[in-house]
Amino acid sequence: MRYHYRRGVRVFAYGAVVLVMIILLVGALNFVFLLAGAFVYHNVDTNYIYGGSVMDALTYTDNGYVLDEEMERRFKEQDQWAMLLNENGQVVWSIRKPKELKDSYTQADIARMTRYYLESYPVQLRVWEDRIMVTGLQKDVLWKYNLEFPISWMDFLKRVWFYYFLINFVWILALAFFFTKRFIKKREQARIEWIAGVSHDIRTPLSVVMGYAHTLEQDEKLAEEARQQASMICHQSVVMKELITDLNLTSQLEYSMETLRKEKVRPAEMIRNIAAEFLNDFPSEQLVIDVQIVPEGESVCLKADRQLFMRVFRNLINNSRKHSGQDETVRIQISLWVEKNKCCIRLRDNGIGYSEEILRGLRKKKRGTTGNHMHGLEIVKKIILAHGGKIQFGNCEEGGSYCLMMFRLSSFLFHRKACEAHFCSEAGNPNL
Amino acid sequence: MYLNEYKILLVDDEKTLREMVKGFLQRAGFHNVITAADCREAEEMFRKELPHLVLLDVMLPDGDGFSLFEALQKDSEVPVIFLSARDEDENRLRGLGLGADDYITKPFLPEELILRVKAVLKRVYRAKDMREGEIVVLGACSVDLGSGVVRWNREEDGGQYAGSGEKSDKSGMDTEVALTAKEYAILQKLAQERGRIVTIDALCDSVWREENYGYENTLIVHIRRLREKIEEDPSHPKYLLTVRGLGYRLV
Repeated sequence: MRYHYRRGVRVFAYGAVVLVMIILLVGALNFVFLLAGAFVYHNVDTNYIYGGSVMDALTYTDNGYVLDEEMERRFKEQDQWAMLLNENGQVVWSIRKPKELKDSYTQADIARMTRYYLESYPVQLRVWEDRIMVTGLQKDVLWKYNLEFPISWMDFLKRVWFYYFLINFVWILALAFFFTKRFIKKREQARIEWIAGVSHDIRTPLSVVMGYAHTLEQDEKLAEEARQQASMICHQSVVMKELITDLNLTSQLEYSMETLRKEKVRPAEMIRNIAAEFLNDFPSEQLVIDVQIVPEGESVCLKADRQLFMRVFRNLINNSRKHSGQDETVRIQISLWVEKNKCCIRLRDNGIGYSEEILRGLRKKKRGTTGNHMHGLEIVKKIILAHGGKIQFGNCEEGGSYCLMMFRLSSFLFHRKACEAHFCSEAGNPNL
Repeated sequence: MYLNEYKILLVDDEKTLREMVKGFLQRAGFHNVITAADCREAEEMFRKELPHLVLLDVMLPDGDGFSLFEALQKDSEVPVIFLSARDEDENRLRGLGLGADDYITKPFLPEELILRVKAVLKRVYRAKDMREGEIVVLGACSVDLGSGVVRWNREEDGGQYAGSGEKSDKSGMDTEVALTAKEYAILQKLAQERGRIVTIDALCDSVWREENYGYENTLIVHIRRLREKIEEDPSHPKYLLTVRGLGYRLV
C-alpha cells in the first residue's frame, strides 16, 4: 500500500494521540464510576450492623445481657441477627438468631466461619475480651471472597508490568495504524474517483472539438491556412486526450495497486504482438523492430496487467520513434533473456539517447518536476515498479538509449507445460 | 448491401455529440442514422426500427449502457459498438466479457469511428456469405475459403513454360488440392489480416485455441506444408512470407 508518506505519518500520529486519549478517558470514566458506585453502596447498604456497634449497645446486668432499644429496632430493620459466644464457644446471648443454628461452637466451627459462611449465612466476627461477637445477615445477600496472592506472583507482576504496558501501547498503535490506513485509503479512493470523474467530463466536449476540427481540416472549401489551424486544433486535442488518459492512469498507479488486473501473460508473446502492431500500423515509416527472444524466454509467464504491460512497450517504442537520431531508419531491438533467477527485457534504439536531465528525473525515487515529454517514461517506470520489477534507463556506448526491465523469476509463473520442459532442462540449477 | 442500406442507431445523451457523429456517419455514406438520448428511447427505437448496428454510450441518464446492451442482446444479435468516456470502461468491457463487438474511447477521430463501424458491419453481415464465397487469389493459385480447396490454374503461367510442350500441356490442366483443417485455419487467419503481420502466437491461437503454448515448431511444419500447396516454389515463398522473429504475412 502506497500513499502520501508524510501525510500518512501525520495522520497516523494524530490517530495514535486521539486513541490514547480515548483510552485514558475511558479509564478515568471507569475509575469515576467505581468511586461513585462505592459511594452509593456505602450510603445505601452499609447500614449493616457490625460487631463493634453491637458491643457498644450491649450491657451486662445481673439478668444477663441487655441490648438497648434503638439497636434492637435496627436489627429488625436490617433483618440481621447476632450472637455472643463465650470462651467455650457457647452462645451466651443472641438476637434474632436463625433457628437452625447451633447453640455451641467448636474451635473448628469458629475457624471455618471466620473466613466463609456459617451454614450459608454470611457472618462477621469481632473479638471482645474473651468473647466473640458474631453478627450475621440473611442468606444470599452478601458475596464474600478472600483474596490471596503468592509473593512470587507479585514479584513477577513487578517485573512484567512494563512489558504489559508496552504490549498495550503497541496494540493501541496498531489500532491507530489500522484506522489511519483505512482513512487514507478512503481519501485516496475519493481522489482517484475525482480525477476519473473530471477526465470523464472532459472527454465528451473534447470529442466534439476533435470531431469538428477534423471536419474543418478536411473541408476543401476552406483556405489552406484555416485548414492548417484546424489540423493543429485536432492534433492538440489528441495530445490532450493522451494527457487525460495518462493523468488517470498515473493517479491510479500512484494510489492503489488494486487497479491492476493481473492475469497470466507471456512477455515473449506480448513483445511479438506489440512489434507486429507497430510494423502493421506504420508500414510507410522507416521502422525496424528486431525481436530477440532466447528459447527459454518463451516459457516465461508473468502475473501482470496485460493492458498496462502493452502500454509499457507502446510508450517505449513511441519514445524511440519520437527521438530518432540522424539515421532515417528507426531501429529498435527488443530482447528477452533469462539470467539465473531473473528475466530481463531490454529495449534499445539508435536514437539520440536520453538527456542527462531526463535520466536524472527518472532516477529520482519520487516524482519531481519533470518535463512533459517524459511523461510516458514516468508511466513506464510506475507500471514496472507496480509489478514488482526493476527498471533502468540509460544510453548505450555506441549511441541510442536503452531501457532494461528485470523481474525476479519468483514473481514469474512458468507455463504449466513449459514448466515441465524447463525443469527437465534446468534440473541442475538450484535457482529454479 | 450498400452502406446506405445499413441502419445505425446512435445512443448518447449529449445532443452536440449526437449530431456530430450523425453528421460523420452520413458523410461517410450511412444515410440511415437514427438517434436516441436515453435507454428508454433507445429501446423504443430499437424495437420500431430494427437497426443493423448500435452505437452505445456507456453512461446514460436513465441507466448504463451495459444493462441496455444486455437487454438488446436478449432478443437479437445486433452488433454493438460502445462509446465510452472512461478508461475503466475499457477494462470493464473486457472484464465482463459482454461480447460487445467493439468499443471506442472518447474522444475519437471521425475516421476511427467510421473504420470501426465498417469493420464491424463487414464482419457481422458479410461473414455469413464469406464462408461460401471468399476466394483468396495468390497468383496462379486460388484458395476457396468455403471448401478449403486450392486450385491451380496453370494456364495463366503458360508463358513461363512456353517452349516446353510437355510442361505446358501438363499445366494446362487445373489441379486441385485440399487443405487440412490446420492449414485451412492458418490460411484463413492470414487471409483475414492480409498484408499485415500475424504473430506466431496469434496463429497458434486461431489454430489450437486455448493452451497453445509450445506449438511453434508444429506451426512451422504446417506452414511448410501449406507453402507446398500454395507456393510455386516453397523454399522461396512469394505470398506466405516469414517475418523473422515475429510471425508470418500473406501478401
